[in-house]
Amino acid sequence: MGTATRAEPVPVWHQRRVRIYDREAPLGYLLLVPTLVVLGIFLLYPFFFGMWLSITDSELGNVGKFIGLGNYRFELRNTDGVFYGAVINTFLYTGVTTVFKLGLGLVMALLLNQVFPFRRFVRAALLLPYIIPTVLSYEAWRWMFDPTFSVINWLLVNTHLVHYPGPNWLGVPANAMAALMVVNVWRGTPFYAISFLAGMQVIPVDLYEAARVDGARRWQQFTNITLPLLRPVLLVVLLLSTILTFADFQGPFVLTNGAPYNSTQLLSIWAYQWGIPGGAIGLGAAISLVLFPLLTIVVAAVLFMLRRPE
Amino acid sequence: MSQGKKKAKTGWSRREFLRTAGVAVATIAFPEIIISCGPQSNVAPTAAIPKPRKGASIRLLQWTSFVKPADAEFKRQAAEWGDANGVTVAIETVTGDQLQPKTAAAVEANSGPDIIQMQYGWPQLYTDACLDVSNEVNILIGKLGKPDPVNEAFCKVNGTWRAIPYTVVPNAWTYRTDYFTQAGVTSFPTTWDELAAAAAKLKTTGKSISQTDGHAYGDSLTMWNPVLWGYGGKEVNADGKTVAINSKETRDAIKWAQGAVKAGFVVHPEWLDPDNNQAYHADRISGTLNGASIYIREKIEFHHFTDVTNNAPMPAGPKGTFAMNLIFNHAVMKWSPDAETARAMLLHLMDKDQYQKWTMIASGYNAGPFEALHNDPVFASDPKLKAFQDVVAPGKWPGWPAMPSKKTAQAQTQFIVADMFAKALANGGTGDIEAAITAAETSLKAIFERP
Repeated sequence: MGTATRAEPVPVWHQRRVRIYDREAPLGYLLLVPTLVVLGIFLLYPFFFGMWLSITDSELGNVGKFIGLGNYRFELRNTDGVFYGAVINTFLYTGVTTVFKLGLGLVMALLLNQVFPFRRFVRAALLLPYIIPTVLSYEAWRWMFDPTFSVINWLLVNTHLVHYPGPNWLGVPANAMAALMVVNVWRGTPFYAISFLAGMQVIPVDLYEAARVDGARRWQQFTNITLPLLRPVLLVVLLLSTILTFADFQGPFVLTNGAPYNSTQLLSIWAYQWGIPGGAIGLGAAISLVLFPLLTIVVAAVLFMLRRPE
Repeated sequence: MSQGKKKAKTGWSRREFLRTAGVAVATIAFPEIIISCGPQSNVAPTAAIPKPRKGASIRLLQWTSFVKPADAEFKRQAAEWGDANGVTVAIETVTGDQLQPKTAAAVEANSGPDIIQMQYGWPQLYTDACLDVSNEVNILIGKLGKPDPVNEAFCKVNGTWRAIPYTVVPNAWTYRTDYFTQAGVTSFPTTWDELAAAAAKLKTTGKSISQTDGHAYGDSLTMWNPVLWGYGGKEVNADGKTVAINSKETRDAIKWAQGAVKAGFVVHPEWLDPDNNQAYHADRISGTLNGASIYIREKIEFHHFTDVTNNAPMPAGPKGTFAMNLIFNHAVMKWSPDAETARAMLLHLMDKDQYQKWTMIASGYNAGPFEALHNDPVFASDPKLKAFQDVVAPGKWPGWPAMPSKKTAQAQTQFIVADMFAKALANGGTGDIEAAITAAETSLKAIFERP
C-alpha cells in the first residue's frame, strides 16, 4: 500500500530567496558586502575623513569650517619654507631606497632559491628585521649611528679606514639622509626578497631545463625566464613598497625627526609636526594628501602594466 | 564710636533696589560682561572643595620621570589617596616624546585618561578639551600663595585656568670640576662670553662643553631660547603677532654662538634629550645644560663622578639672565566621567606635605610651582642643587615676550629657534647667519600670520 505524500507548498518569500541564491550576479554582490563594509569602515571612511579635514581649518579636538584649498595653497606656495625641501627629500628617500631594495631583494631571492645547507634556517633568518619591534630596531640603529658610542665608527676607526672620531652620521645633512636610507633598505629588503622568492618558486623548472638544453646561459635564463615570469610579483611589490616608503614615518622620526635643521624633513614628519604637536590637523592632513594625485598616477601606471598582455 | 550715631537700616532703599535689579538684568542679558569683569584677584571668594566619589576610577597620564623613584612615590601617594577614598587610581607613565601623540589622540577621540599632564603650552593647543579648574587653582593659591609666572602663563588661557600648576623641571649647567680645574677655569662662567672663553680652555682637556642644537624637545629649547633672549632677541613681539626674529639682537646672539663653537663649544645636531646625559656619564664631555637628572643619577646610581660634578645657573647675556625650564601641569579632561574626583585627587597631590615628600624623593629634579613651595628643603639638603633652585626665577616660556598661544606652541614644536642656531653653527660655526635668520623668519611668519 503506497502512501501518498504531498509536498508542502513553498512560500513565496522562500521562492524569491532561492532564486536570488541561484543567480550568480546578485549572490556575488551579496558575498561582497562584508568585505565592502570592512573596507568602508577601515579604509574609505578614514580616507574621506582625511580629505575632508584637509579642506577645513580643523584643529585637534575641534572640527573646523570649510576653507576650500586654503591648506594646499599654504603649502604649495611654500609659505613655511620647509614644504618643498620635504617633497624633494621624500622623493629622494623613496627613489634611492626603492632601487636598492629592488636590486638587493632580487639578488637575495636568487641566492635563496638555490639548494644549500640550512637554507630553511637562512630563509627564516631573513625575516629578522621584521620580527624585531620597529621602534626597538630603530633605536638600535640610532645607537649604532651615535657619534659617541657608534659601533660603526669604532669599527671604521679601528680598521684605520677613517680617522677618529669618524663620520657624524646623524649630525651632517648628507650623512643623516644616507643613514635614513640605509636603515630603510635594511628593513625593507627582506620584504622584496621573500616576495620574489615566492614568485620564483612557482616558475616551472621545465622552462629552465628546456633553456639549458637549448644552451642558454644563467644570465639568459634570468633575463628570458625568471624576470618575465616574475613581472607581476615584481610590479606589485614595487607598488606596495613605493607607497609605504613615501609614507614612512617611524624610522625617520626616531632617527632624526627632521634634524639637522629640517635637512631630513620628510612629508610624513612634516605633516605630523603641523598636525599633532602643532594641533593644526587640517593642515597636517593636507600635507599628507598633497602627493595623492601623483601617487595615484604611479599606482595607475603600475596597474596598467600589470594588466598588459605578456 | 560713630556707630551709635547711625540709624540702623532695615529693608531696601529705592537706590539699592534699582542697583541690584540692574545688575541682575545685566547678568542675564550680557553674562560675558560680568565674567570679563569678574574677580581678578588671587583669592577665590567662594571656593567649593571638590569631593571624591566612592567607587570612581581615575586614570592619569604623564611622562616617565628621569628620576625613577619620583614616579614610584607619585604612584604611592595617588594609590594611598585612592584607598582612603574608595577610588581606583591608575597612573600611566610614558616617555616624554610619546606623551603628546597620546594626548592628541585622546583629544581627537574625545576619550581617554581623566587627567593628562600638560607640558609647555598644551593647554593653549587643547583648550576645549581641558575643563576649567579655576576653582581648584584658587584653592591652591589660598593655601600656597602665588603660582609661578611661567606655570600661570601656560595654564591660564584667556583668563581661565585650564590646568593646575604641577611642577617645574629646572635646567642648569652640570659640569666636571676636575676638568675645569685642569683647564684653569676656577668657577663656572657667569656670562655667555665667559662660557665661550671657558669652552676654549676646556677644549685642551679633550672633554668639551657640549650641547644639542638638534630636534631634542627639551634640551634644544632650554639652551637656545635663553641665548637668544640674553642678547635681546625674540621670535615675536609681545603682541603675539609681529614676527621680530630678524633683528640686530638675533644676529648678536648667533655671532656669540658661532664664536663659542669656533672657540671649542661643541654642538651636536644629532643629539636628542638623553644623549647629553649619556655622554656625561660616559666621561665624554666636561659640561652640558640639563635637568638635575645627570647629577642625581651620578649621586644615587652611578657614583663615578659625583665628587667632581657640580651645577651652575644660566650665564647672563648683555640683556640679562634668562632660563627656560620644563613646565608640567595637570589638566582634568572634559570627557572624564568623574571630573570632580579627579580635581579632588589633584588637590590632594598638591598638598604641601605630600608634594614635598615627592620632591624630596625626586632629589631636586622638580621644583614647586607655588610661592609656599619655593624654599623646598630638598634644595637645602645639598648645596650643589642650589643652581637648580636659582634658574626657576629667570625662567621664561617659548615665544616670550608674547604670551603662550597655539602659535607659540607651533613655533616651539617646529624647533625654529634651535634650527636657526643649528644652521648658523654648521661646519664648525661658519654657517650663513643671514640664511639662517631668513629661514627662521619665513617659518615664523607662516605660523604667526596664518589666520
